[in-house]
Amino acid sequence: MNDKAKTIAVIKTYISKMPSLPIAWSKIQEISKNPKATPADLNQVISLDPVLMGRVMKLINSAYYGLNNQITSLVRAIIMLGVNTVKNLALSTAVLGGLSGKTNFQALNNDGFWRHSLCVGVAAKLIAIKRRKDPKQLEEYFVSGLLHDIGKIPLNNKLSAEYVQALSLTDKEHLPLYITEERTMEVNHCEVGRLIVNNWNLGPAMEDVVFFHHFIDSYPGENRDVVLTVAAANYFANSFQIGFSGDRYPEPLPPALFDELKITRDYFDELESKVNGEIDKAKIFLQVAHQ
Amino acid sequence: MAIRVTFWGVRGSIPTPGPTTVKYGGNTACLELRFGPEEKLIIIDAGSGIRELAGAILAKDLKKGPINTKIFLTHTHWDHIMGFPFFTPIYIKGTNLTVYGPVSFEEDSLDSVVGGQLQYKYFPVNMGELQAEIHYERLKEQEIDLGDGIKLTTKYLNHPITVLGYKFEYQGKIFCTAYDHEPFRNIFEVSPTDPSYDEVAIREGALAAKEENDKVADFFAGADLLVHDSQYTQKEYLKDKIGWGHSSFEWAITSAIKAKVKHLVLFHHEPLRGDAELEKLYCNLVNQMRAKTRTRLTLSLAREGASIEV
Repeated sequence: MNDKAKTIAVIKTYISKMPSLPIAWSKIQEISKNPKATPADLNQVISLDPVLMGRVMKLINSAYYGLNNQITSLVRAIIMLGVNTVKNLALSTAVLGGLSGKTNFQALNNDGFWRHSLCVGVAAKLIAIKRRKDPKQLEEYFVSGLLHDIGKIPLNNKLSAEYVQALSLTDKEHLPLYITEERTMEVNHCEVGRLIVNNWNLGPAMEDVVFFHHFIDSYPGENRDVVLTVAAANYFANSFQIGFSGDRYPEPLPPALFDELKITRDYFDELESKVNGEIDKAKIFLQVAHQ
Repeated sequence: MAIRVTFWGVRGSIPTPGPTTVKYGGNTACLELRFGPEEKLIIIDAGSGIRELAGAILAKDLKKGPINTKIFLTHTHWDHIMGFPFFTPIYIKGTNLTVYGPVSFEEDSLDSVVGGQLQYKYFPVNMGELQAEIHYERLKEQEIDLGDGIKLTTKYLNHPITVLGYKFEYQGKIFCTAYDHEPFRNIFEVSPTDPSYDEVAIREGALAAKEENDKVADFFAGADLLVHDSQYTQKEYLKDKIGWGHSSFEWAITSAIKAKVKHLVLFHHEPLRGDAELEKLYCNLVNQMRAKTRTRLTLSLAREGASIEV
C-alpha cells in the first residue's frame, strides 16, 4: 500500500464514525427531548451542522426507508417522515458523535469552520433566490453550500500535524489550500469530501459540488448551476473573511462565472450584511457565545 | 367475487364495549380478506377484533388443514397489535404465519414490538412457548407479488409513527387501506412574527405537503373499495386534533371523490362516539355529499361483522 492509499484507508475508517460538530450537540439533544420543540427548531438545528445534516440526509435516503425518490430537502423529510422520526435520527447521530470523542481541531477551529460552512450555505441559497431558481431547489443549494468543505474535517482531525503544515504552506507561498493539502498529504479536501458524500449516499449534485467547487473549469456535468453557485459563495466567504476554513489565498473566480450566474462583484457587498444577519440568528439559536 | 372484506374490528384507539357501541362494534382494527373461489385468507391488523376472527378461522379453515396465512400490520400502535396474543392459531402446531409491517426505528424490530407483548410481565405465555411457525418481515414502500395473482403495493402515510397503506390488486379489482392517516400539512407554517418564521421552509413545506397528499390520492385512485381513517369530524379535527395522526370524515370523502374511488368505508371510529351519533353524522354527510356533488361514490360506515365484496 502506498502512502496515499494508506492515508485514504485511515480517512475512510474515520468517516465511518465521524462525529458531529460540538456546536450543535447540546442543542439537538435539548430539542430531541423537548416535546414542545417545533418542526422549525428541528430543521434549524440540523441545518446548522454540516455533519449532522449529512448524516440525517444519509439515513433518510438509506435503504432503511426505501423511499422512491432521493430527498435533498430536510423540510420535505420532516413533513414526510414526521418530526418524531427525524428527531430520533438526529438524536442518534448526535449521541453517536458524542461517543466518538470530542473533535480535535488543530489547524482549523470549530467556530471558524462552522461560520464558513454556514456562510457558504446561506450565500448559495441567497444567490439562488436572486437568480429566481425554483423554490423547490433552494434547500439543495443551502445543503450543498453547507457541506462543500466537509472533506476538511477528517484531514484536520485525523492528520492534524500534516494539516497544520498545509495551512502554514498557504501562508508562506500564498497558495490555495487544496494545493498545499496535496503537497503535504497527497489528497485534497475535495477528494475526501467525495468519499464522505458517497459513503453517506447524498446524491450526484452534492458529490459534484464537493468534488468540483475548486475545479469549475474542468467540471463537465449536469449540476453546473449549483456547482458554480457554491463556488461563488465559497469565494465570497473567503474574500469577505466570514468564518475561516483555511483558504486565505483562494484562486480568483473567472469573470465568465459572474456572467454565467448573472451577478456582479458588487452584489457580494449586498450579500455580506444578509449573511452575517443569518449567522447571528443561528448563533443566538444555538446559544453559543460570540468569540 | 374477487375479494371479500370482513370487518372484525373498526374502532380506533381502544376497545369500547358497551350498550352505545353494540351496532357498529367496539373492537379495534382487524380486517379479514378472502381472495377468489379458494377463499385465500389474508388479515390486516391484529387489534382486539382478531380474537373473534381467530374463532371463525378455527371453525372454518382448520378442518381443511393447518392454518397458513399472513397478517399485514398497518403500524405497531397498540390498538393495531393488542389482539395478537389472542390469535389462537399461534398456539397450534402446524400453523405457519408471517407477520408483515413497518417499523419506525431501526432498534425496534417487528418481532420485538409485536411478539414482545408475549412475555410474562404482560401475558401468561412467553413468545418462545408458541407452537406456530411465525416469521416477521419488515415492509417499506414497495410492491410484492403475493402469489395466486395477488399483487400488493404499500405506501407510507402520515401518522406519528411509520404507517403503511395497503393496496391489494386481484382479478382486476382494487382494495385499499388508508389508515391511520392524517393529511400531510405544512408544519412549517407559522405567523411572520414568530421567531422561527422561515420563508423558504414555508414555501418548501407547502409544496411537499401538497405533493405527499397527491401521492396518497394516486395510491388509492380508482379503488373499488377504500377503507379510510375518519376518526374525527372536520370541526373536531380543527379544534384540537391536528397532529394526532387521523383524518376527518370530510377529508376522507373529498379525497375519495377526487380519486374516483367507487366505495368508501369510513373507519377507525372515535371511541367516544356511540352508534346513534355515528349514524346521525353519516346521514348528514351523505346528504351534504349528494347536495354538493354528483358523485357516484358509495359511502358506508365500517361495522363489525359486515362483509363487502368487490
